[in-house]
Amino acid sequence: MSQTLNTLKRGERAIIIDVSSEEIPLKLLEMGCLPGNSVELVQVAPFADPMYLNINGSHLAIRKETAIHIIIEKEII
Amino acid sequence: MNTVIQNILVFITLGFALWFLWKKYFFKKKTKKACGTDDCGCH
Amino acid sequence: MSKQINIALIGNPNTGKTSVFNALTGLNQKVGNYPGITVEKKEGICKLPRGVKAHIIDLPGTYSLNASSLDENVVIELLLNKNDKDFPDVAVVVSDVENLKRNLLLFTQIKDLEIPAILVINMADRMKYKGISLDIDFLEQELKTKIAVVSTRKKEGIDNLKHLISNYKDISTAPCLNASEIDKDYFDKLRKAFPNQLLYKLWLVITQDVNFGKTDRNEIEAIASFKTKSKSDLKRLQQKETIKRYQFINNTLKKGQTIDVSQAKDLRTKFDRILTHKVWGYLIFFLILLTIFQAIYDWSTVPMDFIDGVFANLSDWVKNTLPAGAFTNLLAEGIISGLGGIVIFIPQIAFLFLFIAILEESGYMSRVVFLMDRIMRRFGLSGKSIVPLISGTACAIPAIMATRNIESWKERLITILVTPFTTCSARLPVYLIIIALVIPEGRFLGLSYQALTLMLLYLLGFGTAVVSAYILNKILKIKSKTFFVVEMPNYKLPLFKNVALTVLEKTKSFVFGAGKIILAISIILWFLASYGPGEQFNNAENIVKTEFASQNLDQEELNQKIASHKLEHSFIGIAGHAIEPVIRPLGYDWKIGIAIVSSFAAREVFVGTLATIYSVGNDDEDTIKNRMAGEVNPILGGPLFNFASGISLLLFYAFAMQCMSTLAIVKKETNSWKWPILQLVIMTAIAYITALIAFQFLK
Repeated sequence: MSQTLNTLKRGERAIIIDVSSEEIPLKLLEMGCLPGNSVELVQVAPFADPMYLNINGSHLAIRKETAIHIIIEKEII
Repeated sequence: MNTVIQNILVFITLGFALWFLWKKYFFKKKTKKACGTDDCGCH
Repeated sequence: MSKQINIALIGNPNTGKTSVFNALTGLNQKVGNYPGITVEKKEGICKLPRGVKAHIIDLPGTYSLNASSLDENVVIELLLNKNDKDFPDVAVVVSDVENLKRNLLLFTQIKDLEIPAILVINMADRMKYKGISLDIDFLEQELKTKIAVVSTRKKEGIDNLKHLISNYKDISTAPCLNASEIDKDYFDKLRKAFPNQLLYKLWLVITQDVNFGKTDRNEIEAIASFKTKSKSDLKRLQQKETIKRYQFINNTLKKGQTIDVSQAKDLRTKFDRILTHKVWGYLIFFLILLTIFQAIYDWSTVPMDFIDGVFANLSDWVKNTLPAGAFTNLLAEGIISGLGGIVIFIPQIAFLFLFIAILEESGYMSRVVFLMDRIMRRFGLSGKSIVPLISGTACAIPAIMATRNIESWKERLITILVTPFTTCSARLPVYLIIIALVIPEGRFLGLSYQALTLMLLYLLGFGTAVVSAYILNKILKIKSKTFFVVEMPNYKLPLFKNVALTVLEKTKSFVFGAGKIILAISIILWFLASYGPGEQFNNAENIVKTEFASQNLDQEELNQKIASHKLEHSFIGIAGHAIEPVIRPLGYDWKIGIAIVSSFAAREVFVGTLATIYSVGNDDEDTIKNRMAGEVNPILGGPLFNFASGISLLLFYAFAMQCMSTLAIVKKETNSWKWPILQLVIMTAIAYITALIAFQFLK
């Protein structure tokens, strides 16, 4: 089942299904946030915002408002 | 004579300081705008 | 002699690009600005084998050739403009062995520009820890380049890199992949419309707003035979292009790179678990801050006292050695003390940059940004604003320069505008002397009232900065996407060479940048205080002598009376009297007025000016204090510095924009007079009103 990235819990992994290109800055795509790549939530700040992610081996933090535009499919462990 | 020279030197230094500030703040070349987006940081 | 080679050093942020630059150039580097903008331009000279010299530019770090900030724009402008004198003969693309996948994106783009490119794989010393092994021959073949595996930490691979640079003519200029496949139709048309231009170059021009040479974006749009696409279509195409590049990179690395996960030692996770923790993270950050403040104030005292002493002695020596006269006085009182006023800040600035460089090099700063973003955003700031707000407690000038990496222009502007509210070190001398005068010595809960007042003033500074950010955020109508991406680099032990060079270069830029302005202003101030119009000034000696003829004053007392009479009738004294009506409601007399006006150059001038005005021969704070305590308010009677006027002064200095250099730097960073003037007017207004209210209520 597909969900948005902001629903990911700490330590969970997922695969990026789609990114809505209207809302997501190109810079984020260039850092590896692209369909097909894996994503893991490393750590969250209080109120789950911003989110510290490991996307395709790149470690970066984005805000929740950006994360809701990224569609993921959680890995079943 | 000595005081005259000293005073001349003072005014030269003062002129230099004024000229420096004037040049620094009022004679800056207009910079060209090199981008168009709102968040590029050059406005 | 052979021709000098131009090299451009390009790479993602956090790849150790600057370490490579430092390793290649050593101290043969200089930092300037690109013409017209405030982006730093780092250049250096490197000696290559066979006596060839290379001119190296360290371009700002960028993730791709699609610019989203002014810094990144510089990279594209240079790479697209063949006529630029710095146009590279060879591009050296620096990558980090742990983030090769992401780093190669930029590399494939540069290859598309058909510039010879060497790939540097840096941080090779970490390969073992991470279980990474590379098939260099395969990668060289696939990426159509030469690869230098380098470890700047262990000083390995630099000679090989130099060797590759000097043989740059052997490097293929063919692209690694055919990016135009993403929309064949579109690119075919583009090629037909501009047969002589490089396809990727055209594409870059179309997709961003960079101007270069004659093939300007509008010109492309003007050609009838070629129709460009809508903005959202172009963005979709850029996305496709990025996916295409990543496909190529993934396939290449699948064969060229093996990662044995069982070998990997993951220190990052262990550190992050504590340093970005919801409770411990904040606590540790707070402790680090405390340590830094303590260190800056403690460690700076000794060198600052030393510098103070040296300049005082120098000033004395000049006065006693050179023939007496106006110019000697200017040298001793204006220029030397002006220079002293610059040099005295070097220890604090150097220490501050030392700590900031260590925090940044180690990768910790990104964690602070991560921790603080949510809190700062409520006030219209970014997590990245925390760095300037911390540095602002030493000096607003470097703090404002540190706002450059904030992506959103609105968040950056707000940060620049509120940073001067934080209690900078120049306010400290003013606070200390007034607190000593007007705050009683008692204790409250074991803390002295005086220490509490000082702490309250620091909190007041931070509080005002944050509240005004909140208000500005509501008022300013700037449309700006507030997107926020921050890379969380791996933890690294800072390299001594990098830290030392940063400290050296930042300190130099303070001394020669702000320093010149402070010097010029102190010369002018000295002049205004030492010259005056009319009889009262020019004949001061006789007037004073007649006035005090009946009293038996010794020569020293008489000289003091003359000096103070002269000051009262100097240009600055006349100005002081002129502004007296304005400042009287705040509880100040004309002398404090002069001190306020002259301390516009720099706040700490306040104490020095009062010292001169109150005819104290030396700058010793205790004597000034006693003098100030003895001053009588000419209108209300009673001590001039009482609780009411003291609090009024403290508030005035907490809020007023009393710093020429900060205004200059704001002008430079915002590229407009509008913001510094606004800052000056609003901050002075707040200062005046709060000081007025405080005095009128307390008197």
